[in-house]
Amino acid sequence: MKVRRPELNLLKKIFLVDLIKGLLLTFSYQRPSANYTEQYPKQRPKISERFRGAPRLNNDPVTGETLCIACNLCALACPEHCIEVGWERDAAGKKVLTTYTFDLSRCMFCGLCEDACPTPCLELTQEFELSLYGRRDMKLDRQKLEEGIQPLVYTK
Amino acid sequence: MEFAINYVVAPLIKIVIILAILPLLVAALTLFERKVIAFMQVRLGPMRVGPWGLLQPIADPIKLLLKEDIIPERADRWIFVTAPIITLIPAFIVFAVIPFGPSINVFGTPVNLYVTDLNIGVLYVLSVSSVGVLGIILAGWASNSKYPLLGALRSAAQMVSYEVALGFSIMGVLMMAGTLSLVEIVEAQRNAGWWFVFLQPLGFILFFICGVAETNRAPFDLPEAESELVAGFHTEYSGFRFSLFFLAEYAAMIVISSMAVTLFWGGWLRPFPNVEALAFLDVVPPIVWFAAKVVVFLYCYLWFRASWPRYRYDQLMKIGWRYLLPLAIANVIVTAVLVIVFGEPQ
Repeated sequence: MKVRRPELNLLKKIFLVDLIKGLLLTFSYQRPSANYTEQYPKQRPKISERFRGAPRLNNDPVTGETLCIACNLCALACPEHCIEVGWERDAAGKKVLTTYTFDLSRCMFCGLCEDACPTPCLELTQEFELSLYGRRDMKLDRQKLEEGIQPLVYTK
Repeated sequence: MEFAINYVVAPLIKIVIILAILPLLVAALTLFERKVIAFMQVRLGPMRVGPWGLLQPIADPIKLLLKEDIIPERADRWIFVTAPIITLIPAFIVFAVIPFGPSINVFGTPVNLYVTDLNIGVLYVLSVSSVGVLGIILAGWASNSKYPLLGALRSAAQMVSYEVALGFSIMGVLMMAGTLSLVEIVEAQRNAGWWFVFLQPLGFILFFICGVAETNRAPFDLPEAESELVAGFHTEYSGFRFSLFFLAEYAAMIVISSMAVTLFWGGWLRPFPNVEALAFLDVVPPIVWFAAKVVVFLYCYLWFRASWPRYRYDQLMKIGWRYLLPLAIANVIVTAVLVIVFGEPQ
């Protein structure tokens, strides 16, 4: 069987036009603005605004008290049941948050808990450095959630 | 006394300088290569060792020298050990005839910026640089392993296809210059008022294509062909012996670039050496002109590597025999006729 090749113009062949085209393309890519590399540990990568990363429980910036009203909606919304909210009633019969557990190992970062939260408390942040040494460490308690996961600072 | 200085001491000093500088140049060239190719592939290349990865060429040789030196059990030990040396030595001794510049004055005595001016310099370069391929073939054979053997086979096939065309492509220049001495060829370009590339454009293109094939660089890197043959002829080599091959390959690149500059691009001459209006360019010393031109050609090597895919070895042979050789012979005939009709360019 004869393979059909695209026909090359004779002049194009003689002056190696296609080879030169290839050379010009690679040459033009040398401009620094074309460069794609991010120096990741030294330089924070640009992360999309809608990226859903490590969870955080926000505190009121003025009073420093938690914004969580212990409504349990996040736990109900979670398809993986990885959130547990613990609460008790105060003297006025109002729910007060005591414990909060977030199991990162089962979380799929769907963001339904964030949507369900009626206050601006639970938030999936832009933080993505979530690797840990064991599954045990992946159960985040209330204190860790309020601190949020801090990015590692690369010094070397 | 004068004899000893002229024929023993001065050449020895020059040889030592060349032997000391060449590995450093090769080290710098590896960084240059990685950076250029990285930028062409929209990456940054080495960035970690030193600022902008500038110390990478120091880290790499240290790593290579500290590595374990492995000789395969079934290898032909004696040939296996000598092969890298056979490849390395020709790549280095070619520098004996390459003129880096005209005479300069050092403490009142004129010093030529070349080790020696052989009256058959071009012949010497062609013959010696072809010996390097022998080392590659021996390495592939002695490794007693299938990929190196395939690499060696390809290298042999490659050699027969470019070597003839390489010789013919230079012949036009030789007829115009009327000499085989590299220094006199550069002087002939000054007398002609033109670099020979303007009089021999086809010869230059053929020479550079064959030169790329001789140094086993992309798109003719068939004996290595890392995507098909692991590493081709140096698959079984490690550590120091591998670095000898590496050194030889890059030194050969510098040789071919220097030859292209000397034969076609006016050696150490500034652009348009006869035009008085451009005399201000003489501020730049000749050796810098030479180095700058060589760097341009080294850049072309890397540029080609980043741009073009590898040829199959039957395609290389087809290019060599069906296109390069007839074109080179035609170039020789046309040049010969023109030189007879119009005389040598003066």
